[in-house]
Amino acid sequence: MDQAEIINKDVNIVAFYFKNTARRLRCFPKCMEYDGKRIKFTETGLVHPTKKGQRMIHVFDMTDGTADYRLEFDAADLSWKLIAITDTQYASISPKFRTAHQF
Amino acid sequence: MPRYLQNLELPISSEQPQILHIDLNSCFATVEQQARPLLRGRPVAVTNRLTKNACVVAASYEAKALGVKVGMGYADAKILAPDLIMVETDPPKYHYVYKKLIKIMRSYSPTIGMKSIDEGIIDFHGTRQNVNQRPLTVIGHEIKRRLRDEVGSWMKCNVGIAPNRFLAKTAAGLHKPDGLDVITRHNLRQTLSGMKLTDLTGIAERNQARLNAAGIHTPLQFLDAPAATLSRQVFHSVCGDDWYRRLRGWEVDDTEHDTKTVGRQFVMDEWQPSEETLLSRLSHLSETTAMKLRHRGLAARGVYIYLMYANGDVWYERRLFKMPVYTGSDVYRRMMLLFNNRPRYDWVRMMSVSCYKLEAAHTNQISLLDEVNKEAWLSEAVDTINSLYGEFTVTYASSLAAKGLIKQKIPFGTTRYFELLCNRA
Repeated sequence: MDQAEIINKDVNIVAFYFKNTARRLRCFPKCMEYDGKRIKFTETGLVHPTKKGQRMIHVFDMTDGTADYRLEFDAADLSWKLIAITDTQYASISPKFRTAHQF
Repeated sequence: MPRYLQNLELPISSEQPQILHIDLNSCFATVEQQARPLLRGRPVAVTNRLTKNACVVAASYEAKALGVKVGMGYADAKILAPDLIMVETDPPKYHYVYKKLIKIMRSYSPTIGMKSIDEGIIDFHGTRQNVNQRPLTVIGHEIKRRLRDEVGSWMKCNVGIAPNRFLAKTAAGLHKPDGLDVITRHNLRQTLSGMKLTDLTGIAERNQARLNAAGIHTPLQFLDAPAATLSRQVFHSVCGDDWYRRLRGWEVDDTEHDTKTVGRQFVMDEWQPSEETLLSRLSHLSETTAMKLRHRGLAARGVYIYLMYANGDVWYERRLFKMPVYTGSDVYRRMMLLFNNRPRYDWVRMMSVSCYKLEAAHTNQISLLDEVNKEAWLSEAVDTINSLYGEFTVTYASSLAAKGLIKQKIPFGTTRYFELLCNRA
């Protein structure tokens, strides 16, 4: 069973990176300060919008290579919130399904 | 004379393939793996509720390779794949991918259709001369690339190209995952020769038994069967003719069906639910059914309720009223009329409510009766507040106890209520 630790706290995103995707320049979080630590993201999973009533929220699923982080950016007040951390010790990947970058 | 009693003889369609079917296989699991890179390459199953009795609604290819199937219980799946990771569905993610897929499809043709959340069809008829002059296989590969670029590198889809929708879907299922296949009149027999009857979409156990009874055991025999045999001996209806055309590449599935019923169902969260519990669940189901009606701009004259008891017995009742309704309280009131007639000899396990005889809701028409107007205006005001601050910000006190328990889950097949579902997230 997947164990996500719900955090739901405001965090500081201290570094960003930019990427030209689908003919648009988009901004992604690169480094986050949380609980006195600096967490550097190594990969962006999926970025998708969602709504809370009329408020537009952008959800960023990020990883630092050891855990998955779910961040929400509120477009109304430009604030970042860490929603959950999933830090399960998964079993190793079967060689059959290992991709080039996972070797 | 009915159409199915006339003798029909058609050759295999010689039309160039113009239908492109896109299928995001293991859609929810693949999207979860896209969102969370640590899940990639690992057996993942998606479920609607993270509990011990959870049921798999989507399994990743890695999980499928270990024998995990859709519909399997968590305990069974865990025996087959001890490292299986279960995650709960997240509708906004799938909605985003669904929208992206529609956007990509629309850039090729104005005639597109979504068969479900993860399946779409592009009809290239009329666009080939001026807009899409490249071969459809090239466009198919381009769609795969665009899906990876615009959604994420883990996204894969199957593409099938054929003269009609049925064969295009069949082609899309030939080489999973990430396949691209074309069925034409030249390779139709060869393709069907490598398949079983149940590999065909729409042929499950019962239809297979019907076909077997008429001496048809393979898709090739099915293709060669005369229309008269299919319609008079096998299907006893016009369905036989449809199958005859479908297998030969003629289009019969380009029809849109109107909404006939709107409803909800819920498996009880308690083994021995009290009267109070049942009423709160019924109130919530009625409220959300009415929300679906209003979302589609519909009102319903008929209500239907279905209960399943702990001993497996079922009870149902339906009633048709003169006046159509669309507010939560009206639907609940009518449901209560039926619900009070139920037998009370065992514990209720499952409850289902639905509305039928649907018609357009004339919400602009002011009634002569003041209480009817008040009800409609109240419902409108509540909807406005809920659309501003999220669904169930204002809700009925009677359904409060069920608010957090009954969640609207990912719909299979229809995508009619996707917007409503995501607004509630």
